[in-house]
Parts: sequence; structure tokens; C-alpha cells
Amino acid sequence: MSLFVAENLCKHFGGLIAVDQVNLAVRPGEVHALIGPNGAGKTTLVNLISGMLPLDAGHLVLDGVDLTAVSPHQRVRHGLSRCFQITSVFKNDCVYDNLLLAAQAHAGSSFGCFRRRATESALRDRALMLAEKVGLSDVLNCIAGALPHGAQRQLDVALALAAQPKLLLLDEPLAGMGPEDSLQMVALIQRLRTETAILLIEHDMDAVFQLADRISVLDYGRVLTSGDVAYIRDHPEVQAVYLGVGAAV
Amino acid sequence: MLTRALPWALLLTLALFPLVAPVFDLDYYVGFVRHLLIVMIAATSLNFILGYGGMVALGHAGFIGVGAYTVVALVDAGFTSAWGAWAAACVVSAAFAAAIGAVSLRTRGVYFLMITLAFAQMLYYLAVSLSAYGGDDGYGLHTPLKLGMGLDGAHIHVFYWVVLVIAALLFAFLNRVAVSRFGYALRGIRDNEIRMEALGYPVYQIQFTAFIAAGAMAGLAGALLASHNQFVSPSLMHWTESAKLLVMVVIGGLGQRWGGPLGVAIWLTLAEVLKLYTEYWHWPLGLLLILIVFFAPKGIAALGDDHRGKSA
Repeated sequence: MSLFVAENLCKHFGGLIAVDQVNLAVRPGEVHALIGPNGAGKTTLVNLISGMLPLDAGHLVLDGVDLTAVSPHQRVRHGLSRCFQITSVFKNDCVYDNLLLAAQAHAGSSFGCFRRRATESALRDRALMLAEKVGLSDVLNCIAGALPHGAQRQLDVALALAAQPKLLLLDEPLAGMGPEDSLQMVALIQRLRTETAILLIEHDMDAVFQLADRISVLDYGRVLTSGDVAYIRDHPEVQAVYLGVGAAV
Repeated sequence: MLTRALPWALLLTLALFPLVAPVFDLDYYVGFVRHLLIVMIAATSLNFILGYGGMVALGHAGFIGVGAYTVVALVDAGFTSAWGAWAAACVVSAAFAAAIGAVSLRTRGVYFLMITLAFAQMLYYLAVSLSAYGGDDGYGLHTPLKLGMGLDGAHIHVFYWVVLVIAALLFAFLNRVAVSRFGYALRGIRDNEIRMEALGYPVYQIQFTAFIAAGAMAGLAGALLASHNQFVSPSLMHWTESAKLLVMVVIGGLGQRWGGPLGVAIWLTLAEVLKLYTEYWHWPLGLLLILIVFFAPKGIAALGDDHRGKSA
């Protein structure tokens, strides 16, 4: 039984078919990696699943709920949360305010316009918990835009976690990271797998093989193949298009 | 401590001004300050969507006009209650803001600016064509509206205090909104709309709500302006009025608590003073605008904030 099913997803931009009849299934508690060369359509796929781009065709179901026609912000409320390939935080606010804003999104209405937010201790607790989860407790008062790249990515993940997602979409969480930051992020993802299923898009194959339960390979907008780590590692076609060894035609 | 006391001191000064003014032979300026306070309401409402909400609207005078013409329509129909007319002006301009916002907020950036401008111009030409209310020539409100509650609306001071109370309450309310959940959400959308959507915020509904609130406030300002001038003409909602309001907010400080009031006070006071000396009073104001853009790009209100390094 799958937690998340994407069926027959299609998206074209003019004459370019970016995503072509993609089927994906993520099981509960699984880290499902999505790999593929540049331009394979990975980020487009994430945007389709999160609703940032409208689907041309296809179906999305998360935990029995059909999300196909659901608006992006409502998808988050149904447990589908995402991070961004290019870090997307509130750069001019401190880490704590970033986390408060994320916490606020999932604790009641945001149309309250009289109570001071600073007096809401539940939000504060939730923000502090998020900081602890991703290891940012020491930099709460730092302006987010001034943090090192690795910490900004951790903050990005923390923002996505506020939704208490059932499925977390991580779009290249290791992009642009040095070895030390990468290790930290891999450790973070390892910790998160106990609380949410993860759809992980990543280029760092060491990290993918280390983290993933299953892997789908995307090429020219189509799923080339899907399987567990050993299966993908030994798959001749995958090696040809992606891993760059045994370049069989 | 000082910054906490300052608004109260200012409020007290403004409240006492009509009593002190005659002593210094400044009676004329009671009306001037009243006008200032009304424009401040409009500027503050624009700052709410522009500075806090990041919605660069160039049609705010349209809502001011809708509010003013609502008063005209009611007076023309024989209605006499000031409070009723002003409340109606709020409701009607909120309705217009809802209709305009529903369309405009589907666009962004320069398109949003152009579409709000287009709607305001439509309202302008609608007013020009309303011959029942004087068309281009405008409409004189000769019988002052009744305030009731033992207040004499014809008395210059009473209307001044009423305006002061309304302006102060609205200002205090918006400052509270700014630190409420809604205020934070609105600024979050201004700073990073896509992230807000991905966090699960109903971005459109939040902006829509703010747009309607600002429209209602501008309508109220228009209604008060109608009572203040005892005259309403379409020039009230000409696009240059929207632009002037926008410039005032930029001078005062976009997204700054005191941005609206400061910008209005500086612009209108300078205009008043310069007019005493020269017919060409526009160019020093232009010069001021250039200086502000270069030396205080966040507006005058932000100058005092620099050492704190954070905007309100």
C-alpha cells in the first residue's frame, strides 16, 4: 500500500515535453529518491506535485486524498510539504521569526488581527522545537540571509517541517554544500525519515545510495526505471544515462 | 520610554491645538491640520497594502472618490446622519475594493499597478459623467451632516476632534494589526510569496482581505474629505491624486509605522509653506523627493530606526 501515488503526470511547455506520463509511488516511511541528469524534469515534477505548476494531465493521491485539483496551500494542509532547490527563506527576518511564521501557518487562522502574536506561547514553543529539530537553536536571533549556506538550507527544511508533513519533498537539499554541511544534512534527513516519508531529489549519488530505500530514475521527462538501491546501481540503462559508466548505447 | 510617550504627547498636542490656535492667530491652520489628518488616514491605508503588503497600487484615489461620492449620493437623497453616511462610504468602497481586488490581485508587479490605475480612471470618468452630481463641476454639500450625540458638526472644532479620534483609532488599530498574525502573514507574502504559498498560507485571500480593508479606509477618508471640503468633484480621484499619495508614503517610509502620517505631514506642510513664497512650489518638492530617494531610500520614518537596524 502506497502513501503517495502520482499517476500519469504530464506537463509540456510549448513543444517541450518536460514531464511525460510519470508514475511514482512512495510507501509510508520510505525515502524515495528521484535521480536523473540535468533537464530530466525533476524540478518540474516537484512543482507539479506541490501545485506550483498546473498539471496538463494526471492524478495525485496522498494518504487516500485526491490532491489533483487542490490548490498549493491546501496541499500543504493535507500533509504535502516541500523545500526549494534554491533556498527560499525570509532573508530579512531572524531565524526565530522565520520559524514563527512557519508555525503560525499550521496553528489556527492567520486572519486574526488583534492579538499580538508575541503573546502566543504555543507558537513560540513550536518554533523552538523546529529549531531544535534541525539544529538551529544557537542562531535563533541571526538574520536568516546572513547565515552560512548550510544553515539556510537547514532553515528551509525546518520551514517545510512545520506542516508536520506526511510526505516531504526535498529538492536537491545538498546542492552547493561543502562536505561538512552535506554530512549534517544527510544526518538530518536520516532523523526525519522516522516522522515522514520523503521524496528526495538529489545529484549526490553517495548521499542517495546512503539514504534511499528506493530510487526512480528520470530521463527526458520519463521514468526510466524504479527499484531498490542495489537494483538501480546495477541497472545497465541507468549506468548509461546517468552514472556514466559502461557507456552502452 | 520616550518612544512610548511620543504618540500620546502628539495626540495631546493635536487635541489641544484648536484651543491654542486662536491665541496665536492660527485659526486657519485648524482646518489645515484637519485636512492633514484626513489625508493621513488615506496614506496610512495605502501604506498598509503597499508597504506591509507589497501591493503597488496606483488607484487608491479611486476609493477615496467612491467614499466621497457615497456621501454626495446620500446627501442628495436627503440623508442627514454623518455617522451613517461615513459608515456607508466605508461599506460601498469596501465593495468596490472587493470587485477591483478580485480581478487585480491575479496580477503582479507592473501589471497590478496598471490594472489598479485603469480601474481608478474608470471610476474617475464615471464621476465625470454623473451629471446628477454635477459631473465635472462637482457637487456642493451645503447642509453639514449631523453628528448627533449632542455634537455640533457645524462647529469647526468639533469636526476636528471627531477626525482626530477616527484617525488616531485607525492608526492604533493598524499598528496592532501589524504585530498580529495577519500582519506577519501579510509581510511574509511581501517578502517571499512563493514560500508563503508553500508554507500553506492562503496568499490570495490574505492579500484580498488587506486590499478590501485598505479600500474601506480610503473610502472613509474620502467621506471625511467630502465633509471637510463641503464639496466633491471628480478631481479628487484623478490618477495624479493616487500618485501623490504614493509619493507621500514613499517619502514617509514604506512599511514604516509612521510612514503614512510623516509623509503626508511633510508633503502638505511644505506645499503650504512654499505656496506662500512661489507659484512654482512643485519643484522644491521634486528636489526633496530626489534627495529622499538618494539619502533615505527607506523614507524619513526609517531614519530614526537605523541604529536599531530593523523596520517596524
